[in-house]
Amino acid sequence: MSPLTRRQLLATGGAAGAGIALGGAGYAVGRESADGDGGTGTVAFHGDHQAGIATPAQDRLHFAAFDLTTERPSDLRELMRAWSDAAAEMTSGQPIGDLNHTQLAPPDDTGETVGLLPSQLTVTFGFGPDLFERRGEDRFGLSRSRPAALRPIPPLPGDTLDRATSGGDLCVQACSDDPQVAFHAVRNLARIGRGLVVMRWSQLGFGRTASTSREQDTPRNLMGFKDGTRNIVAEDIEAMRRHVWVGDEEDPAWMRGGTYMVARRIRMLLEIWDRSSLADQEQTIGRRKYSGAPLGKQEEFEPLDLEAEKQGRPVIPVDAHVRLASAPFNQGERILRRGYSFTDGVDERLGELDAGLFFICFQRDPAKQFVAIQRRLGRIDALNEYIRHVGSAVFAIPPGARPGGYVGEPLLRSA
Amino acid sequence: VNSSARVGGLLLLGTGLLLGAGCGSSDDAPKGAKTFSVKLTDAGCEPHSAELAAGPITFEVENDGTSAVSEFEVLEGDTILGEKENLSDGFSGSFSLTLEEGTYTMYCPGGEQERGTLTVTGGVKAAADPELTKAVADYRAYIERNTADLIAKTKPFVAAVIAGDVARAKSLYPPSRIPYERVEPVAESFGSLDPEIDARQGDVPAAEWGGFHKIEQALWVKGTTAGMAPVARKLLADVQRLNTKMKTVQPQAAQIANGANELLGEVSASKITGEEERYSHTDLVDFEANVDGAKAAFDSVRPILVKRDPALAKEIDQRFADVYDDLAPYGHGTDFVSYEKLSEADTRKLARSIDALAEPLSQVPAQIVR
Repeated sequence: MSPLTRRQLLATGGAAGAGIALGGAGYAVGRESADGDGGTGTVAFHGDHQAGIATPAQDRLHFAAFDLTTERPSDLRELMRAWSDAAAEMTSGQPIGDLNHTQLAPPDDTGETVGLLPSQLTVTFGFGPDLFERRGEDRFGLSRSRPAALRPIPPLPGDTLDRATSGGDLCVQACSDDPQVAFHAVRNLARIGRGLVVMRWSQLGFGRTASTSREQDTPRNLMGFKDGTRNIVAEDIEAMRRHVWVGDEEDPAWMRGGTYMVARRIRMLLEIWDRSSLADQEQTIGRRKYSGAPLGKQEEFEPLDLEAEKQGRPVIPVDAHVRLASAPFNQGERILRRGYSFTDGVDERLGELDAGLFFICFQRDPAKQFVAIQRRLGRIDALNEYIRHVGSAVFAIPPGARPGGYVGEPLLRSA
Repeated sequence: VNSSARVGGLLLLGTGLLLGAGCGSSDDAPKGAKTFSVKLTDAGCEPHSAELAAGPITFEVENDGTSAVSEFEVLEGDTILGEKENLSDGFSGSFSLTLEEGTYTMYCPGGEQERGTLTVTGGVKAAADPELTKAVADYRAYIERNTADLIAKTKPFVAAVIAGDVARAKSLYPPSRIPYERVEPVAESFGSLDPEIDARQGDVPAAEWGGFHKIEQALWVKGTTAGMAPVARKLLADVQRLNTKMKTVQPQAAQIANGANELLGEVSASKITGEEERYSHTDLVDFEANVDGAKAAFDSVRPILVKRDPALAKEIDQRFADVYDDLAPYGHGTDFVSYEKLSEADTRKLARSIDALAEPLSQVPAQIVR
């Protein structure tokens, strides 16, 4: 059987087992790791919200954007079902599928995580604007279900976008503390989808650049600065409700409990940055490099003082990144950042490092939040001298799946 | 030629693998399977040990009110042949295995006595299945047609090379490649014969290099047949030897299905990349021939598959049709555009088309031996 149809069987024919399978002792090869740490090391796939958003940011990322090659709504539905089933298996530390010991069949699971811990793997799925309508074409009969908030990101100041690393019908964000576990997730989902989807682009991230929990230290990005000090943290339920999750009163109903993701591949011109003086670097960001404290303050978590002046000039320069990105400067709008540092080797044209920040953020309304903030930043941010936005994508992130269901079910059930 | 070491001998494997224990478990009981009931209890498996006749066996497992045991496995040594897990109190399930004579372990983890012995006696009755026999006969006929065609097409090609007629040799080269590419996995099972016929430069030491591609290089790169007469004569002799050997082949149905996968692997590895016909750039001719061969292999086992998994058969039919549709704009038979004319978008599209077919096709062998 093809992986897809086998998945269907798992979800339907195995109904008696489906409910308990996830909490069970695990498959033969995965058992040791699943039990080895007493059940920790896993993040539940099912729930009101998808995992990988409010989850404390893991260390590693493998992100992939896919384009659908099928035109049938039923294919899309079965794909999301098969992907969700596989994600539930992988995030619980089990190998995919039930056909892994048959000598004459290719194993369902590719196998590189056998013996590895689940390592907090989360798999988060998203739907791009083209899924609902592409160049005026209603490909899957979904155009009337399209959320008003899901619009392509408009051209922004300073964009130098490469179409090859932008857009996509679907996205998969796999995060884990083990890079091989994250890679395995994307690889196996791509395999399951073969014939229905093709991978449009993908991005590996090797280090988190944001903390999304009070329990996490603030990490540093490749510029050597702490990044995400004033990020929304998952413990701040009110901020999550106000800025991140689509509320129960909002339309469309299928998005309630979901959110919107903006992903930007931001190349850092590290050679130039590294030649800048420490003072220049700190003025550019608006923070001290080592302590992370706002300019004029001593401690990382002290509030920004945007009014402070010294000798008639603002302590935090008018074009400093932290000032322009701050909530007071953006009508109180905030975003949940969850990005990763990346490198893809050498930029062959220039012989320079191809590295930077794969920026991911979550919000209720990209137009009011990311786009508005970036418009301001793109125009006058001092940081622009050292970065280029080279990739861009936006996705609706549906709410979480219930056990036995799949991500996007309320949207796709009748499609 | 590609990875001949890996696939060499594939079709010559004995019956052990196919009928051996561990040929797979499935939730669908095979025809004629005997049923064996096992209960999970606090003590472990009930019965603790058992003796069964060899052949297909369906294990029906039921939790008889224990919270200590929720899983039943059949092992050969340390290898799990089949299992049912997550059977908490009141749940039951089943799986099927085809077991050969031997000693196995029944394992109920958590029970007071976890392990018991399962003794299987008697041979598996290898009654000839008429469908399998027909599949093999059909595919053998295909092999024989193509090796006969290979000789028929190679002869005039070799004659043109020996006569020094470059233009004619060039025109006769692509058609001589087609029958070979259709049955390549079978040819590869004869060890050195495939590299002698089909090695590319660098596959073998320069002094030993001969066969189709050496002549291809002389014709397209050097524009001459000079020095190629002995190479051409040896090629014809090798092709004739191959024909003789092909007649001895006794492939099994699952191996035929696997041969289809090998052919698509050939397409992905050397045709889409333009590596196979690096001088003549007639790679798409070989591409279609590989797909033809895979289709023929699949078609011979298709009647079996249709009964076991009609949805899979339908999916593969559709994907074969898609591949031919995607290939059609570039030509057909010996009349294809040069590989050099393909854009990156073209090759990407073709590669994806093959991937989409190869994934479900790889599921076929296990279904055939089930």
